[in-house]
Amino acid sequence: MTTWTDLPAMAKIEVVIDGDDVPAMRDLFLDSGATGYTAVSGVSGFGHHGHHQGRLLFNDRASLSMLITVVPIERAEGLIAGIRRLLDDRHGVLFVSETHVSRPDYFT
Amino acid sequence: MTTATAHRSLSATDRSRLVIDVSNAGSIAAPYWPLTAFVAVNPLGGLTDLSFAEAAAAARGWFGARTHLPLDAYRTEHACGTVTDADLDRAILRHQPTLADAPSLDLGRLRVDPLDIVRWDLLHGPTADQAPRRGTGSVATALDEIMTGWCAAFVDEAHTPWPMPDRDRGFYRSWRVAAGADRRLAAVIGRDARARLKELPDDPAELLDLALRERGIDDEGRVHAIRTWILRTPGWAGLARWCDEWAPADRSGVRLRMLDLAAVRAAMDHLAPDHLDLSGPDATSSGVQAVSIERRADAAAAAFGADGHRAAIVELLEAFDEADRAAIWLSAHEWNFRDRLLARLTGPAAGTSPERPAAQLVFCIDVRSEGVRRRLEALGAYDTYGFAGFFGVPVRWRPLGSEIAQARCPVLVSPRHEVVEVAIDDDARYLSTRSATAGLHDAFYAAKGGIASPFALAESAGWFAGPVAAARTLAPPRTRLDTAVGAIAKRPWWKPFGATPRTAPVVDTVTSVDLRSGLSLEERTLFAEAIVTTIGMAEFAPVVVLCGHASITTNNPHASSLDCGACGGAPGGASARIAAAILNDIDVRVGLVERGITIPDTTWFVAAEHDTAADLVRIFDRDVIPAAIRPLVDALQRDLDSAGERNSLDRAQRLPGSAARVRDRGRDWAEVRPEWGLAGNGAFIIGPRSMTAAHDLRGRSFLHSYVAESDPDGVALETIMTAPLVVAQWISSQYYFSTVEPEVFGAGDKMLHNPVGGIGVVVGQSGDLAVGLPMQSVMLGEQRAHDPLRLLAIVQAPLDRIERIILRNSGLRQLVEGEWIHVVGRGSDNDAWSLRTPGGGWEPWHLADASMAEHRTSLSHTDLSIPLSI
Repeated sequence: MTTWTDLPAMAKIEVVIDGDDVPAMRDLFLDSGATGYTAVSGVSGFGHHGHHQGRLLFNDRASLSMLITVVPIERAEGLIAGIRRLLDDRHGVLFVSETHVSRPDYFT
Repeated sequence: MTTATAHRSLSATDRSRLVIDVSNAGSIAAPYWPLTAFVAVNPLGGLTDLSFAEAAAAARGWFGARTHLPLDAYRTEHACGTVTDADLDRAILRHQPTLADAPSLDLGRLRVDPLDIVRWDLLHGPTADQAPRRGTGSVATALDEIMTGWCAAFVDEAHTPWPMPDRDRGFYRSWRVAAGADRRLAAVIGRDARARLKELPDDPAELLDLALRERGIDDEGRVHAIRTWILRTPGWAGLARWCDEWAPADRSGVRLRMLDLAAVRAAMDHLAPDHLDLSGPDATSSGVQAVSIERRADAAAAAFGADGHRAAIVELLEAFDEADRAAIWLSAHEWNFRDRLLARLTGPAAGTSPERPAAQLVFCIDVRSEGVRRRLEALGAYDTYGFAGFFGVPVRWRPLGSEIAQARCPVLVSPRHEVVEVAIDDDARYLSTRSATAGLHDAFYAAKGGIASPFALAESAGWFAGPVAAARTLAPPRTRLDTAVGAIAKRPWWKPFGATPRTAPVVDTVTSVDLRSGLSLEERTLFAEAIVTTIGMAEFAPVVVLCGHASITTNNPHASSLDCGACGGAPGGASARIAAAILNDIDVRVGLVERGITIPDTTWFVAAEHDTAADLVRIFDRDVIPAAIRPLVDALQRDLDSAGERNSLDRAQRLPGSAARVRDRGRDWAEVRPEWGLAGNGAFIIGPRSMTAAHDLRGRSFLHSYVAESDPDGVALETIMTAPLVVAQWISSQYYFSTVEPEVFGAGDKMLHNPVGGIGVVVGQSGDLAVGLPMQSVMLGEQRAHDPLRLLAIVQAPLDRIERIILRNSGLRQLVEGEWIHVVGRGSDNDAWSLRTPGGGWEPWHLADASMAEHRTSLSHTDLSIPLSI
């Protein structure tokens, strides 16, 4: 019987960043060969810089956003290097994890 | 010169790091919105993570720009009484608090308060008074000129007959293909230019890598080096930033990427015989041309009769360098404005009439609304409100017969809905006439813009166009002031066919013309609730007017800068029509009742638009107004006409030329100053109209209605402080920097503007894209029409609520704690004002000059430091 661990492994990259930094991150994803991404705007929470407000009615840029992408593991290193460079100067966090996907052709 | 460093293929890691370095380097350039929807931005918006003072120092270094008025200009303000000694003392002590308790200086025969010496130095000490400018060489300047020409050719959206090749492959690749034929470039980099261009890598990232390695730039220095290349053409860099970060995803046309822009300039620098200094500005310098402390101390010693005691004065003045002196003057100027305004707003508010008003009118928060609101309120039982001019409905608007939908909301919001305008009458004739007119227009301008066709055009159409142009110049058209019922719908004699049909915005998804337009009932109800609750409207008159604004001007590339900023630099009438249609929707009103808002059946929302150049308010969609309230609307229109006329007379006092023609300026194609726009803006007042209704604020304040009691959880206040206030800060900053540094942050002299690429203007024949506002928007000759001050936010709401909102919104917090804006607040009419300190917390406000309180009532017409003589 096939289990989920038999599905092809890939790298899942999640970043939580300021809304203003989303365009730079989006371009980095695409320049690094990611075939797509998911964006969640208006992310609220509490962390290193205190409380973060969620969605605002008339300002999509002022709240945090979460971007998620999945790339083949061999492409992850380059992308992560760029993200870390960006986070040198800007707020945000990066999570990298191994994930398994049912349709690997979507991500390559 | 030969290239010593060979280019290499970049690894994925190196490439992505380089992409981010370019993004970081370009972040200093403020985005530039094309003139079709010009949006005011803070030219230092990329530096708002720094304090204003730090950002100003960085801007002086990077842009070679002035960030404050020259000291002599501030001294003139002092001579005029708009900065007093008391203001200066307060600003000095804020800058150097230890001076308050410092002992007197022993100057021989005299003992002098050090505050007196510092104040004397500010008022009379020698100044350098020169704007900082970037050092540059002739090769770099020549390459900048060439660069701007290529940028203009690449982005051209004006249908040049011969576009650049391979534009779809990006600016760098397109330039590399075409630049071999550029003789000016060859003249700078040498005869073998063509061959050396061919040797450059095809990939812009690899070119940047090559150029950086060739110059020996290490990891630490890369952002500075790339930024140096980018900022050789800051205007085009602004457009690239807009393309990268703000342009709509579905925008057609080429995209000027920051990566490409940096690569082209780096390539030119790489090939040039003389290279740019890529080390960036000196971080230890304030960036201001300085007079030596010794010279200032000598002057002060002489003035105080203490020639032998220079050393003590030197020691004192060392804490006040040139940048400090400018910062203190700015602060003192702001204290004066703040004191005058708060003194005015202190005390009992204007009483409200117990009777139901005949009409309520919601105007845009724009500073230009204040005058016409005040004039209208004086004419009858009218209540007016202020709300962002898109009326809280962020949509794209697709006018009748157009395939293009344009965003009608602040650029901070991404519109998720589209609303289409449809004809109620038969529109076939109108659309065919419109199509034919558009075809003629396109043909005329295509012929005008061609290489040889202008000669043929002059031959064939000159007999007609010449006399028409002469007539328009000698006898400019006048504004039609007739807004009476039916006048607008009357078909003009020169337009026998295809007059504009009656139309309506389709706001719902049920009757919408296609799948992509319209809003669901839930969404419409949500927006309706937001409109009503944000401004605290609890009761409703029979007529509620939602009044957007536009500025109808001609021959004005910056026309959209005079339109509604809250509508993304577009006219506000469409937003008013959409909001009115939503609020008149029976299903929406039922939904509002479930949310605790009851709008009487007898209340009708009417859309209108205020033409700020002519001071005319026109009411839309008259034919759908219920018969029972038409007499009220007719009476209101008459009062709006009167209010507009009176307001135009007020405006005429500040504009040059004949007062009799003040309302015609927008129609005159030779007029460089159709109106003052938002010049003079200084404050953003959030509170009930009763705070301000009794005062002539001279069109200097954004007015946003807010009733704290109706907003116990602070949602409405948070919306106001995170969107309209932020947009107002951008506007304020644009006016500020266009005034203090018209050459770098302004668009220069309008008389010399040439449209370029269909997206902006350059000053003269060529050059960088001109950002900011034209000189004529902020100056009258040598006289300023705008006081460059940081925005003052005045909020009537519980201080803990304001504080909570500031703390949990990081962007707002940066603006407040970095002193990009000043915030004052009070809980209610009966409370004293408190100042929000940059470090957090509040302190009581008091007048620097107590005598001002006694004269408060006499300040009604001649205070607020707008130059009244113009």
